Amino acid sequence: MKIESTFKIKKGLAEMLKGGVIMDVVNAEQAVIAEKSGAVAVMALERIPADIRAEGGVARMSSVETIQEVIDSVSIPVMAKARIGHFVEAQMLEALGIDFIDESEVLTPADDKNHIYKHDIKTPFVNGATDIGEACRRIGEGAAMIRTKGEAGTGNVIEAVKHMRSMTDGINKIKTSDQNELMSLAKEIRAPFDVVKEIHDLGKLPVVNFAAGGIATPADAALMMQLGCDGVFVGSGIFKSGDPKERAEAIVIATTNYNDPEKLIEVSKNLGEPMVGINIDDLDEAEKLAKRGW
Amino acid sequence: MKTGVLALQGSFYDHVQSLKFIDQDYVLIKDTTDLSNVNSLILPGGESTSMIKIQENNDLFSALKKLIESGIPTLGTCAGLILLAKDVIDGETSLGVLNTVVERNAYGRQNQSFEGLVNLLGNKEMYCFIRAPKILSYEDSVTPIATIDNEVVGVIENNIVGLSFHPELTNDKVYLDWLSSFLKDGVNVRSL
Repeated sequence: MKIESTFKIKKGLAEMLKGGVIMDVVNAEQAVIAEKSGAVAVMALERIPADIRAEGGVARMSSVETIQEVIDSVSIPVMAKARIGHFVEAQMLEALGIDFIDESEVLTPADDKNHIYKHDIKTPFVNGATDIGEACRRIGEGAAMIRTKGEAGTGNVIEAVKHMRSMTDGINKIKTSDQNELMSLAKEIRAPFDVVKEIHDLGKLPVVNFAAGGIATPADAALMMQLGCDGVFVGSGIFKSGDPKERAEAIVIATTNYNDPEKLIEVSKNLGEPMVGINIDDLDEAEKLAKRGW
Repeated sequence: MKTGVLALQGSFYDHVQSLKFIDQDYVLIKDTTDLSNVNSLILPGGESTSMIKIQENNDLFSALKKLIESGIPTLGTCAGLILLAKDVIDGETSLGVLNTVVERNAYGRQNQSFEGLVNLLGNKEMYCFIRAPKILSYEDSVTPIATIDNEVVGVIENNIVGLSFHPELTNDKVYLDWLSSFLKDGVNVRSL
């Protein structure tokens, strides 16, 4: 007897990615560099967040050709992004045989009120969140993995730190609340009661939680790991830097050895130029991608 | 008496949870210096390509291979089985200590991943197969210990056990009892 795509199986793949680095790539050549550098998965997309930010316009799911090309070029899991609420892009990614779908605020949202109902799609979903309420809503819709949103394409880690700390605070609040307080708390954070109850009973999120959005150096990756996330997404930080291969390898080693400053020093030598960062205060409110998501 | 759990990447904390259930002391292994006082080993699921790459910076696998060849009980699940296998199709041979031919991701991509009813040591339980490797063939010195629909998904050779699936995500009593005696006594435990 075999049953495909149960929630346990969806969550299970995320469990296998723990302690690893997931890298944004825009073509087969970058995907191969990522795999050889030790990435646990690649995220196939049309433009990396820094370029989406610079060029503007509507950002959509990658072209079928790009996705196919990346799938064919590597043996590690391949992820791809669908627009928030765009369930047809998700259906197409499912049919393309993608291993994980990121319903992502980095793309232009397709629905201003609703996210995708993720239980109906065989492929597991990862969703961004800025706080525990948002994480609970996404898990309620069927997300099998959560990532902090951070502020993608900035090379600035401050928002990822803010969201991770906010998530930890939220989990602690639920964990230490009396059972009788959970419904009121669920109402306050606009979260489904069942998910809040599950977090209360487990003492942690029921799914894996990665860090994303602004990680640019080995030290950034180690910082996020020490703050308690399960692994990291690196977007623009690698292929917008001076020496992508060296930097990718260094971030992978730093993510494994996040508690070992000596190792962090060793891998941080001779990395070339990091991506040029953006100060969050210099962004207009409308330019902040983390605000997308309901 | 400590079990070393390879902790470069992957589901190593899930194995740690299994060890906590059976009161077994453990140490996370990231470097050769973590290997002293280890007398059994667990290689977790994850991405074998990543683990192979990460250990290159300290040549951990040479030391690990020596330790496994010294005969200590060693369990590899999913990616762990790939690391143990002597021949890997669509992947790289690394430790190469288990006389099997294994094909990476042979059950398909994530959409084909499944929970399946496995006969492990005579007991049937649902276990997770996640982009799992397939055991294509094995030498006479290797004995099957787990099957699904008559297909071999787990083997033992001397003190080395390789499984295509993830018992650490289920932690049923039969598995935990087996794990407890295997880590202490190795091959002297019952097999099929």
